[in-house]
Amino acid sequence: MNRRDLLRSLATAIAIPAISGLPADPSFALGRRAHRRARAGGLQVLDPHQGETVATIAEMIIPATDTPGARAAEVHRFIDLLLAEWAPDDDRRQFLEGLADVDARARAASAPDFLTATEAQRAAILTALDAEAQERRKAQRDAPPHFFERMKFLTVYGYCTSEVGATAELHYEVIPGSYDACTELGRWRAAPGDF
Amino acid sequence: MAAPSFDAIVVGSGITGGWAAKELCERGLKTLVLEAGRPIDPARDYVEHVPPWQMKFRGFGDRKALERDQFIQLHCYACNEYSGKFFVNDRENPYTFDPDKPFHWIRGRQVGGKSIMWGRQVYRWSDLDFEANARDGFGVDWPIRYADIAPWYDYVERFIGVSGERLGLPQLPDGQFLPPMALNCAEQVVRDGVAKRFAPERIVTIGRVAILTAPHRGRPACHYCGPCERGCITHSYFNSIGVTLPAARATGRLTLRPYSVVHSVIYDGQRDRAADVRVIDAQTRQPLEFRARVVFLCASTLESTRILLNSKTTRFPTGLADSSGELGRNLMDHTMGGGARGVIPGMEDRTVHGHRPNGIYVPRFRNVKAPHAEFLRGYGFQGGGGRAGWGRAAGQPGFGVELKRALHAEGPWGFSFYGFGECLPRSTNYVELDPVTVDAWGIPALRIHCAWSDNERKLLHDMSVTAAEMLDAAGAKDITPFVDDNPPGLTIHEMGTARMGRDPKTAVLNAHNQCHDVKNLFVTDGACMASSANQNPSITYMALTARAAAYAVDAMKRNEL
Repeated sequence: MNRRDLLRSLATAIAIPAISGLPADPSFALGRRAHRRARAGGLQVLDPHQGETVATIAEMIIPATDTPGARAAEVHRFIDLLLAEWAPDDDRRQFLEGLADVDARARAASAPDFLTATEAQRAAILTALDAEAQERRKAQRDAPPHFFERMKFLTVYGYCTSEVGATAELHYEVIPGSYDACTELGRWRAAPGDF
Repeated sequence: MAAPSFDAIVVGSGITGGWAAKELCERGLKTLVLEAGRPIDPARDYVEHVPPWQMKFRGFGDRKALERDQFIQLHCYACNEYSGKFFVNDRENPYTFDPDKPFHWIRGRQVGGKSIMWGRQVYRWSDLDFEANARDGFGVDWPIRYADIAPWYDYVERFIGVSGERLGLPQLPDGQFLPPMALNCAEQVVRDGVAKRFAPERIVTIGRVAILTAPHRGRPACHYCGPCERGCITHSYFNSIGVTLPAARATGRLTLRPYSVVHSVIYDGQRDRAADVRVIDAQTRQPLEFRARVVFLCASTLESTRILLNSKTTRFPTGLADSSGELGRNLMDHTMGGGARGVIPGMEDRTVHGHRPNGIYVPRFRNVKAPHAEFLRGYGFQGGGGRAGWGRAAGQPGFGVELKRALHAEGPWGFSFYGFGECLPRSTNYVELDPVTVDAWGIPALRIHCAWSDNERKLLHDMSVTAAEMLDAAGAKDITPFVDDNPPGLTIHEMGTARMGRDPKTAVLNAHNQCHDVKNLFVTDGACMASSANQNPSITYMALTARAAAYAVDAMKRNEL
């Protein structure tokens, strides 16, 4: 049920077309770029700057602690794959606009871009984005999801379904072997049915 | 050249085809099973233990491929990146419907059919169900009663293994049960709360399910990994690949031919019987014919009817064995999706371990003793309780170490009731051959006309009311009643269209699933159903199939067939 609920909310989040003022042209250019990069073996949609920005935000959402974080789980590669082969054009464009907006916010705080901003500046940007995302969700449940809501969903999903995240963090076990119907809360152990 | 000849031909290898094959083979018949789809090798094809990081889209599914090739199938929760391969390609297998009357036809074409990804819930019918048509006048009276099928329920349950709790209810007879699975913390609270306010009418029990809770006939018990619809390498839930087809094969009398798309049954007017089965080889596209003394259609409700519709002759201009004019009519599906959800407070230091591939069940309580003023017949609830897991963290405010910790912080206990209601048999819900559309093998596609009636809508509404009442009785908070608007078909309990009945003028099949018009032709899948009850139907299909096979073999021995 967890997986299905998340998938549903995630699919809804991604399937709702973005309200965008941008012309359609960039998606065509993106497609060509994606093709070129796929052949080169790198990221398909995200350019190096965008890829590093996504990896950095993801790591801030799920940082390395005593277990690896989102960067070690290569969440940015998973997000790039979804942008390239899964997301509708409008959603891909909206996500990339969101990334550009992250840099714009850094510039507004007098940094060259998000990656070169100070740690405190970055944290402030994400805190503001998170608050806006929560606001929008609260104000109108059917509203198109905020960039940061998508980013967070994709980070959590990409991390938890990665080998690193599922094994080190969620203690994935293939065969629980029994069903304990009402047992003491202990260490979380994920199973195939969680995914 | 004469067609290759067998004692029996079974069309389909799923829930009923597997049973027909087992019974006919074990009773001495050289049997050919024709399966339209590919063979399945559990070691290669089952994916229940494949971890998410080995799936390209981590379980998301290939959205573009799904929307292109499985635009109908994707409506089923089980048609995902893991088990989507067990569902048909909708472009190869088209059907049509009126734009204002959508019907979601969910199909599996492979050895094992839908028994690979079925829901595994098994509930006996009772005379409340077999007498329903006679009582209120919808449809025709069933030609059998509970006493006719009860020994066959026993027989099937003993073989497949069914776990469940004995309740002694007349409307939901007990079966041959393995130990029941356990109710979790929240479910125990709901069971007790409902019992306190609503006993003895409303009862919360664990689902009765074709999953082993103890070793059974050489198959090990469930290991609680969770997603049965992806296959089960230990064969701990019932499907035909792991249980009935091996039994058939063990007799040495089984020939299983995959990639065999049945086009039609050829009627021999002189001998007044089904003569050959015409097949199109799915790979070579070659037409082939096979012959047998007796033919069992077990191709699934609508596929079996489609074969009969496509087998028309001068004597049967509307479809083989259709002198009644009822072939294709009285299509039913369970109406699904009225219910309520809520939060069960407390027990925050408790959780579950392992994935129980089963939920709760509330046996029918409407129109059991006293008639209801608003609607006929009734419904049962499935559902269950649990705590939200790691996915919940994504929707919470904050990020960083706190969010990472929240991946482990389970949500409060939630509980939901989800109703499944009876659908009245009505002749206005019907299928016919589409005059234009054909499938990938050139066989005419079905055109489906099906819509819910007011009675089904009233059941859905009542589900949302009674579910909320039960949650209230259990002390739940944030109770949210709901009525999902699901189109017919999506419950995947489609049945009817070649109904059983005593009178050849009003029914296609007799009390033994034998065509009134063509004595060596049997239909034992869901097409045979004269009403739908509200219970998940597969166990009834299995019992009817085993019963019909025994009858057919006895009749052959008496040289009546």
